[in-house]
Order: sequence, then C-alpha cells, then structure tokens
Amino acid sequence: MISPNHRAQGTDAPGKMAARPRLARATTRVPVLRVENLQIYFELEDGRVLRAVNGVSLSLALGETLAIVGESGSGKSVTGMSIMRILGRTPARHAGGSALFTLKSGEQVDLMTAPERRVRRIRGREIAMIFQDPSSSLNPVFPVGDQIAEGLRIHQGLSREASVARATQLLALVGIADPHRRIGEYPHQLSGGMRQRVMIAMALACDPRLMIADEPTTALDVTIQAQIVELLRELQRERGMAMIFISHDLHLVAGVADRIAVMYCGQVVEEGPVEEVLDKPRHPYTMALLECIPERDQATGAPVVRPIPGQIADPLNPPAGCKFHPRCRYAVKACRQTDVELEAAAQGHMTRCIRWKELQ
Amino acid sequence: MSGSGLARDQVAPRPALDSSAHGATAVNGTTAGNSLIQVRGITKHFPITRGILARTVGQVRAVEDVSLSIDAGEVVGVVGESGSGKSTLGRVILRLLEPTAGTVHFDGTDVTRLPRAELRDFRRNMQMIFQDPYGSLTPRMKIGASIRQVLKLHKICPQAEIDDRIASMLRRVGMQPDHANRYPNAFSGGQRQRIAIARALAVAPRFIVADEPVSALDVSIQAEVVSLLQELQRSYRLAMMFISHDLSVVEVIAQRVIVMYLGRIMEAGATARIFSNPGHPYTEALLSAIPRRNTTQRRIVLSGEIPSPSSPPSGCVFRTRCPYAIADCADIVPPLRQVDSTQWKACIRDDLGLAGSG
Repeated sequence: MISPNHRAQGTDAPGKMAARPRLARATTRVPVLRVENLQIYFELEDGRVLRAVNGVSLSLALGETLAIVGESGSGKSVTGMSIMRILGRTPARHAGGSALFTLKSGEQVDLMTAPERRVRRIRGREIAMIFQDPSSSLNPVFPVGDQIAEGLRIHQGLSREASVARATQLLALVGIADPHRRIGEYPHQLSGGMRQRVMIAMALACDPRLMIADEPTTALDVTIQAQIVELLRELQRERGMAMIFISHDLHLVAGVADRIAVMYCGQVVEEGPVEEVLDKPRHPYTMALLECIPERDQATGAPVVRPIPGQIADPLNPPAGCKFHPRCRYAVKACRQTDVELEAAAQGHMTRCIRWKELQ
Repeated sequence: MSGSGLARDQVAPRPALDSSAHGATAVNGTTAGNSLIQVRGITKHFPITRGILARTVGQVRAVEDVSLSIDAGEVVGVVGESGSGKSTLGRVILRLLEPTAGTVHFDGTDVTRLPRAELRDFRRNMQMIFQDPYGSLTPRMKIGASIRQVLKLHKICPQAEIDDRIASMLRRVGMQPDHANRYPNAFSGGQRQRIAIARALAVAPRFIVADEPVSALDVSIQAEVVSLLQELQRSYRLAMMFISHDLSVVEVIAQRVIVMYLGRIMEAGATARIFSNPGHPYTEALLSAIPRRNTTQRRIVLSGEIPSPSSPPSGCVFRTRCPYAIADCADIVPPLRQVDSTQWKACIRDDLGLAGSG
C-alpha cells in the first residue's frame, strides 16, 4: 500500500521541489549597478554605424535578479558584455552613458570610463560572467580544478594547497558529486551540464557581487536546464548577489528573475516586476514574444504557437518611430512618425508604447 | 511488398509488443497493417574498442529493442534527453546507420535489407532535417546549387525545370527566389533552417526525420519554423518523426509521442493523453522541466544525469533517477505494456497518479 503522502516523500528524496522565487520587496534595496542611457555602437568597415545598445538604462540591487530578454540581435548580450567591459575597444565604441557599479568597499566606479587596469581588478572579483557554451570558456588541456584554482591564486592570493581545497569546495557547492575526483578531470570528461556547473563554480570563486549569466542554459537539455536555473537561483539567494540573467525565453526567466527588461533593437521596450510583465504585458512586443512560446489555446485547449510576423528590425537601418511598428498589430500612424519614450504604466513598470493604455 | 511479411516474422519475439506485432491491432497506437513506416525491434550497439588491435571491450547500447509505426500524414514526436538514443533511432530508420538488429519497413519495403545502390534511389522517399542547418548546408556552395544537387541526384524533374523548382521551393518556405544565388553565411539561423527544409522537401519525400530542428533557435524563430513545418507537413501529407528534447514544441506538432531513456521506450501514446496523464515517472519529470509562465506549479528537478549507455542500470534503466523507484525496479526490465487504447508504458507501478502539464 502506498500512503497518501508517498508522492511528496518520494519526490523530496532524490529530486528537489522548487519554491516560487520571489524577493521580499520590503527589504531595503542596496543598489549595486546603475546603467544610465548606455550607448554602444559598432563602427563597420564601410563606415556605417550599428547602434547595438541605444540608450539603455537599468538598475540592480543586491539580492535581485534582472532578466534581459530579447531575440538575437536585440542588444541583450552586448549590454551584458559591455558592463563586464569585455567587448574590447574596437570595433565596439562606447558612445555614451554610464554604468555605475558599487564595489564591495562601497566605492563607486563608472565601468564605461574606468581605466583597463582598474577594470581588470573588478572583473572576476566583483563581477563574474558565465556564457552559453561552457566548452569554449574552459581550456581543454588543463584539469578543471586547476582552472578554478588559478583564479583563486591570482585574485585572492591563496597558496597552491589552499586554492585546490577551495576549488574542491566550490565544485561541491555547485552540486558536482565526488568533487575530489572531478577536480582532476579534463573538460571533455564532463557532460555539458557539469561543464556549466564548473563555469558557475569559477564565477563564484571570488564571491562576486554581480553575476552576469548570458543564456547559461540554452545549449542544455530541458532537465539539465531546470537543474542549472535552480542552482543559480539558490546560489544567488544564499549569497545575496545581484544577477543579470540574459535569455530569449520569457518563460525560463519567470522561474529566476525578480524583474524583466525586454529589449528590441538596442532599446528596452518594457521593464517591470516579473509577474507584471508576464501577466499584464504593456508592450506589444512582449505580448508577441509570449505568444511564440507553445501554449495551450485558452478556448480550444489545443497547443499553438503564434510567430511574430516580419523580420527583426535591422539595427543598421532601423525603422523610424517605434522600432517595433513594422511588426506590430497595433501600430498606428503616430507610431511610424515619432520616437517613443519609456513611460510608467504602473509603479516600477515602464513601457515604450504610445498605445499601452489601450492594449488588453 | 512481398517478403516484408517474412522479414517481420523472423524478428525475435519481444514480450512487450508480441501480441500487437502479429495481430491486426496497434503498435504504440497505430494500425500495424497499413502504416507507412514500421519499425520492429530496432537495436543499435556501438562497439567500444581499445588498443591497436581494436579489441572490443564493451558496447554502447544506444537503442534497445524499439518498435514503432508512423502513418502517412502523421507526426510522431520522439523525446528524451541527450543520450536517450533518439537521434540514433532516427538515423537507423533512415539507414544512415546500420541497425544491430531489427527491421524498418517503408511502405512494405524492408529498408534495412536494401542493397546500397537501391538504397540511394530509395532515399528520395525519406529525408532528414538536422539541428544545425549550417552544418548540413555546404558553406562554399550557393544555396541554389545545394538544392540543384539533390534534384539532379534523384532526377526529380527535367533539366529545364530545375530552376523553376528551386524558386518555387524557396518561395514555399518563405524565402525569395533570388536567395538561390547567395551562400549559407548570408542567412540567419532561422533562414538557414528554412533553406534546409526547402532542400529536404525538394525531392518530394513521403517521410521526414527532423532531428531537433528548432533547438538551436530563439523562441521567436522556433515559432516561425515550427509553424512552417506544420503547414508543409499538412499540405504534403508527410509522415514525420520529430525528435526533440523540448516537449512544448512536440506538443504542438505531434499527434503521438514516444518518450525514450537510455535507448528504450519508457512511454508512448497519444500526445494529448501523455501530456495530461503521463504514465511514466520520466515523462512526468520531462513535463515538469518545461519552463512555465506560472511557476506556482510544483517542479520535479531530476537529480543527476543520464547514466552511461555502456553500462546501463539493471532492471528499469530509469530507476537510478526515479523518485518512485522501489526494490523490484532493479530486478525486472519493465515491458512496454498497454495502459489503454491510447497509452503504453514501461513502468511496473500503477499506483502513482503522476502530474501532467499545466
């Protein structure tokens, strides 16, 4: 006989139940990053200018996760990389705006203008980043343990022995079973999910205040994706880090983010608390992105997808007015004529649409 | 057509499907007698070799005794994690890989026994679409030339009509005819997948294996490619095997679903049934891993990863990660048995009441 609560016990034992991730909003926000009117341009060989990031403003507090969501070419990754200052000087150009980061010491630095020497000490120690493809970020010819330990020796001045011990701890922390054995293994001996765990361990090595995760689960199976998202959320909460989670999937970020910024053609078109953006989207692009995700039709119960008509705007030749208007089913004449500014639709919920009041 | 009956009888009896394989009833939900594709007891092992003598020291059991059928105009989804054997199964069905055991019949012809020369001609009936269209389109060949090549190989139309056919195929997948003069690198991932689809369909196949065709694409582009595939599949009445680890896409496109784990079928049946009432704990876990807007639903995060197919667990291969495993699960390889007219499962427990999707 199976007792009525067998199921709950059964699932609790080897797997983990995920609770709903929500930040207690009553706590005082300790701002850690404030991006103001950031502009990152790429100058092409033929002289044309690609405005990859075109006036983005964001703010992020400790213990908070901001998801940046958009299609390929929306500028979401360039935003993340420019905060980490890993775009290089050319051909990317910082054309304007600032990214004020508050260090552990309390000091504020503008990541856009700080000298490279300064930024090198911030990278890894204060801000860490993980990427979509962990195999290209790991060196294939060194054991993973060495690669984690190296960072600890450089950034924290640990001895060889202490750095290896700490690396083993970090592997255990990110849920790698048998870390003493794994530490001596090479990247090719690990699965994709485990490699991503190693990357996370590396990113955590110096206890950063801000973690930038750029599509960290896109290359993984759904089951492993769920594990990694769960892990990131747990670590972020335990350590009170701030996190920027970059993704193309609005449903995936629903499980991890406190706030969502939706980007299109280099601009934030909507930003707000996760439930608000998902349940009451105030921009037609957010609505369209949600409809792309296969879901059961409310009326018929049949699963459907509704692709967004047209092509993503060409950032070299963006349309006048609202950048989304050529694909927007609500577009009117005014949308084609004037640039649209972000406007508050509710407390902390911004939209770049002149018709947001009429959208249902 | 003749000879197919004989071949089928030679397959060793498989307890799970024995009754259905010989009767007029169904294998995993379709009428066995007149399915376009009939797969019987397919097993694929890859030898593991060591040393300069290439001594065989073990076997990777990629696919173990899989039977299924696909009707004309039907889409069957095959889901499972990396290492579940779903891609190997697709390649064996098209005989891009030789099976270790088992047969594949296409409209009565035993594909597994076709001589090489005949197989090449036969392939125009069965085409494949891959995850990475950049890998399947030759980068140095204009896309028009890529399509022309398959049209010529299979002598699909007279020389004079080839250009028209290329143009019409490109138009059919939402591209411009003048795109034929460009190289693959001029296109985005979604466009390249459209081109790969145009090339696969140019030879007018009756069966398509689509192996993770949208997994590498953004959600918005995924939606475009899925609706395109769906529309083409319906209008050409194609049979399709849609392989994916993403169940939400499979739910949209497939009428029936096969859930694989470590080379074996865990569960099979009608899509709507399996999504609302999964019978196997692995299916439940896969369904619960789909990211949902509404995160209040309880989520089962599977611990660990899929074990190595060279040394699968005894008994039920899923038991090492199964939240509901009991002692008996280690002893018996659970047969795929019929739950009702639309559902088959390989799990010994009937007392679970598993949760379906949202």
